[in-house]
Amino acid sequence: MDSQSSIDVVRLVGELDVSRRSELRTALSQATGGRAVLIDLGAVSYLDSTVIADLLRFRAEADENGRLVALLIGSRQVARVLEYAGLAQAFAVFDDRGRALTYLAGTSPT
Amino acid sequence: MTGRSELRINRDTADPSTPKAIRQALGAFLTALRIDSPLREDIIIAVGEAVANAVEHAYETRDPGTVELHAATDAENTLLVDVYDRGAFIERDLREGRGLGLRIVRAIARAVSIDTEGGTRVRMVFDTGAPADATEQTTF
Repeated sequence: MDSQSSIDVVRLVGELDVSRRSELRTALSQATGGRAVLIDLGAVSYLDSTVIADLLRFRAEADENGRLVALLIGSRQVARVLEYAGLAQAFAVFDDRGRALTYLAGTSPT
Repeated sequence: MTGRSELRINRDTADPSTPKAIRQALGAFLTALRIDSPLREDIIIAVGEAVANAVEHAYETRDPGTVELHAATDAENTLLVDVYDRGAFIERDLREGRGLGLRIVRAIARAVSIDTEGGTRVRMVFDTGAPADATEQTTF
């Protein structure tokens, strides 16, 4: 995890499945300082629903704290699993890092 | 795909490499069957969900168990995949907290059935499409 101004960036790589949940939870738990969080899945090639459930929980907590969350996605497979889960609209999803950061830096989130 | 092709895998649910190892073996099997993208990835996603379901509790509690995968083609361009879980969690309610995974499986597979007697078996049926050299019309 690194920090860009007040945006926390959680970067994960590889195949993110049930066996890596504790790693995911640890990474997400460290993203507490910023007013917005970019979850960088640009180098994630696979995602399962146990991970999506954790991301949903994280997003819900961030909502309660007034923090924006964006997902950066680089794999078609990850985009498709979100669609199949019926959650393509549940997250602010970007395939471009710059646009994701612009969204998170925005002062008037929609 | 005129003959019948099969894949059988049996893995320890508590081994963190199990989900990925099963997906890799399935991917190689699908490649050998000449099942291409995006169907290949979709089948891996669906079966990956069934495997994740099987190992989820075992992995978190470190209770031992096994997950078995059996995949087989038939003559009608259908791939049948069973994921068995014979671990210690035979009484669990598949629906509770696992709706997301099943929703994904149902979005991809043509048919899904779940049998929780003596363990948990998730059976998925996938249409694999007519092979390029098909000479007969297939009807279902």
